[in-house]
Amino acid sequence: MTSEAHAAGREYRWRMPTSWWTRSRNYFFYVVREFTALPLALWLLWLLVEIKRAGDGPARYSPHGSAAFVVFSVVVLLFALYHSFTFLTLAGTIIHLRVLDRPVPPSLIVLSQFGLWAVASGVIAFVLIWFGR
Amino acid sequence: MPDKKVTIQATRFDPDHDEKPRLQSYEIPFSDESMVVLDALNYIKSHVDGSLSYRWSCRMGICGSCGMMVNGTPKLTCNAFLREYWPRPVVVEPLNNFPLIRDLVIDMDDFMHKLKSIKPWIIRKQEIPLGSGEHRQTNDQIDEFRQFSECINCMLCYAACPVYGLNNEFLGPAATALARRYNLDSRDQGLTQRLPVIADTEGVWECSFVGECSVVCPKGVDPAKAIQQTKLDTTMRFVLPFGNRE
Ligand code: SF4
Ligand code: FES
Repeated sequence: MTSEAHAAGREYRWRMPTSWWTRSRNYFFYVVREFTALPLALWLLWLLVEIKRAGDGPARYSPHGSAAFVVFSVVVLLFALYHSFTFLTLAGTIIHLRVLDRPVPPSLIVLSQFGLWAVASGVIAFVLIWFGR
Repeated sequence: MPDKKVTIQATRFDPDHDEKPRLQSYEIPFSDESMVVLDALNYIKSHVDGSLSYRWSCRMGICGSCGMMVNGTPKLTCNAFLREYWPRPVVVEPLNNFPLIRDLVIDMDDFMHKLKSIKPWIIRKQEIPLGSGEHRQTNDQIDEFRQFSECINCMLCYAACPVYGLNNEFLGPAATALARRYNLDSRDQGLTQRLPVIADTEGVWECSFVGECSVVCPKGVDPAKAIQQTKLDTTMRFVLPFGNRE
């Protein structure tokens, strides 16, 4: 096939500018959403270290309670909420269900995801508090 | 009252003489409130500079050939009204993320190749003989895929997608939406033939859901939805014991 490109000779190659994510509001919030995963991963690693230390017995365990860590945890919690919120609101777009041969409305799917999220958080909180007593 | 004017800054690039593209400014009469960016380009070509190159055809949002960046956003120029930008200058550039051939004309070979790679036609395991009549479909069956069949191949979604901009191996929004259109069609049996392309790492899994493709799509195709649904479907096929059904 003779393409237009070949007929035209030299082409000017596209190069993505490094500042692409500052060019629109949507790009910016997308990058923020993706970035929230990083502190979240760090916090989870920290949690693993704490669990490992707790495994060494109550005498040697003193959980990290510095103000900086508390602030970091609160910030990470906000990030986690933002990430979960954006993720769960997308469920209505992604999940494509039919019940009794009728499509389930996206709003109901989103609602059910938030419901499941609340139930799962409740169960995990219960388990942690119960076994932590 | 003096005649109203509008400034158009259009990309110029002559592959034989220019190292890189540059913007050229044209001041033209803004004679009619219904003028669109494409009218302005046509005015320039007819009255000011006949060498300006760009694609267009239908002038009514059907053919998909007039897509360009208008003040930084991918738009069909036949559907972008000058009154929405005036009195600011209107910057018209070629679609982002594609190689540039000349002025506002991009090289669409990669896009055409991607469209073809998902086999956008009805695939049957065994063709029904013509004499046995048509493949019948209910309205509900058509509604399953109708939205994804509205695509006019304007490539605005590719110009809006930073993932494609960073890695043009990515199958991209419109091709995935088209694959989904056929996979959801009750007459089609070609899913397994399309899977190696759509479920590949450069297929739907390359997408990290920026969502801008659906924002700029002039036809409401919602390719981001097609991609995320394909991710879910291919995962279900993988994890569920009965998932590998045809
Ligand atoms: S999906 Fe929309 S934006 Fe993308 S090519 Fe098709 S019509 Fe254009
Ligand atoms: S000229 Fe056909 S879509 Fe604009």
